[in-house]
Amino acid sequence: MGLLSILRKLKSTPDQEVRILLLGLDNGGKTTLLKQLASEDITHITPTQGFNIKSVQSQGFKLNVWDIGGQRKIRPYWRNYFENTDVLIYVIDSADRKRFEETGQELAELLDEEKLSGVPVLVFANKQDLLTAAPASEIAEGLNLHTIRDRVWQIQSCSALTGEGVQDGMNWVCKSVNAKRK
Amino acid sequence: MPMGRRVYPVSSNSQQPDSNRVLTQLLVFLYCKCLWRGLKFVIRKVTGRCELQRICYNNKPGARRTLKIESSLKCSKHELLQSAVSVHPDSVEKTIDDIMSLKKINLDTNPQLGISLQACLLQIAGYRNLVVEVEKLRREPYDCENPAHEEMLMKLWKELRPDSPLSGRISKQWCEIGFQGNDPKTDFRGMGLLGLHNLLYFAEHDKATALQVLHDSLQPKHSKMSKAEWDKKKFDKAIGYSFAIVGINITDLAYSLLVSGALKTHLYNVAPEMPSLVNFQQTFCYLMQEFHRFWIEEDPCDIMEFNRVRTKFYKRVLKQLKNPDMALCPHFTASDLHLVNL
Repeated sequence: MGLLSILRKLKSTPDQEVRILLLGLDNGGKTTLLKQLASEDITHITPTQGFNIKSVQSQGFKLNVWDIGGQRKIRPYWRNYFENTDVLIYVIDSADRKRFEETGQELAELLDEEKLSGVPVLVFANKQDLLTAAPASEIAEGLNLHTIRDRVWQIQSCSALTGEGVQDGMNWVCKSVNAKRK
Repeated sequence: MPMGRRVYPVSSNSQQPDSNRVLTQLLVFLYCKCLWRGLKFVIRKVTGRCELQRICYNNKPGARRTLKIESSLKCSKHELLQSAVSVHPDSVEKTIDDIMSLKKINLDTNPQLGISLQACLLQIAGYRNLVVEVEKLRREPYDCENPAHEEMLMKLWKELRPDSPLSGRISKQWCEIGFQGNDPKTDFRGMGLLGLHNLLYFAEHDKATALQVLHDSLQPKHSKMSKAEWDKKKFDKAIGYSFAIVGINITDLAYSLLVSGALKTHLYNVAPEMPSLVNFQQTFCYLMQEFHRFWIEEDPCDIMEFNRVRTKFYKRVLKQLKNPDMALCPHFTASDLHLVNL
């Protein structure tokens, strides 16, 4: 081991745990995203009953990612997972235009939650591999993201299927956790 | 420089015992192999029967016999025997003849052996084909442009809700049978058509159970909660679980059991010839019923415990399948099979 890598290890306190909450409507791609983050097979996914959790190492952090089912019936349980959340990741199916309004409402309700106040939010405009996907800029406008003042936020277009854009989003997550903890 | 000098002998020293260990392991392996071959030779001479014969005579038909035949063939030094496990069902008969002449077994004095071996090889080939067939269905995504797919979906509704017609193809009513939203097409996901086939089979062929499970899944879980409190929480009434998506999830469970080979025990016990898709679908019905029973037994607080309960259930089924007499369908036990096979 070189001197440099030792120094680097000392500098970034290892295994700093980060709690990430993955929310969004059903069929948004949360579980695919979670499996993509953990480099697991994404061809056998089934609708999430309850939740999935995985821990991923990234940039000296241990990211504990909670993927909660998005079915309407399960949404009342979301609040049980709010406590101590470091970053909220909200996943949107960019091709499901019929449900933009519904997903906007859910997001707005989340941003009003006291337990999530000030928590950085990353919106993944997912399924960009589909031709019918709306661009991230259009979604940001539709959700009035620019009116958010009480927290840092970011919108990132991605495809959980191909992995494109996912790493960029996670880099932002780590950056905002670093900024918050300083 | 002194550092480098010190490092070198240390690493070469550590290689010494390493290569020694490898050599010892190799010798032990060769010794055991010789011992095993020798033992087999002696037994063959004493009993006058080859290993395949001994397996057939000492094990009753079903998983006990077929699993042993399968591993014996796979471990064989003869190419003919090795390839027998991957032979096409149509050439099973010819393969049996070849094996008989290779092993110098007289068919007239051993009329039963050929039949037994044939049954085993057909089961082995059938299982392999079933994996391919199931995988093909799983890979076929649900397509609402395909009339056959749509027809199956509508049929599922009619079977499960015979008394209330569907108000439209896109309808909130789909939630009543446990889909997530107003269009089931997105719920099939990674299980594709396999999920729909399974659900429909369950609803059509094991109707009473399916309706019972559906009915139970719609009952509110928190009986302790008062009505006012219930309404305040704005939970949907059905907190048990969602029938259809649990079905898709249990399809995934059955699929992993099949692909991992764990289902061999069960299928070799219930299918006297080639296991087919129907056998797989019956297994699904059994798993749905058992999971439902398990869920009630476990008495989880709410749906958020689903994955915990599912993992526990999966481990339990895996453990059951370690028993070579296990059959997952209560209607087809291994003893019934005995009659069929002879």
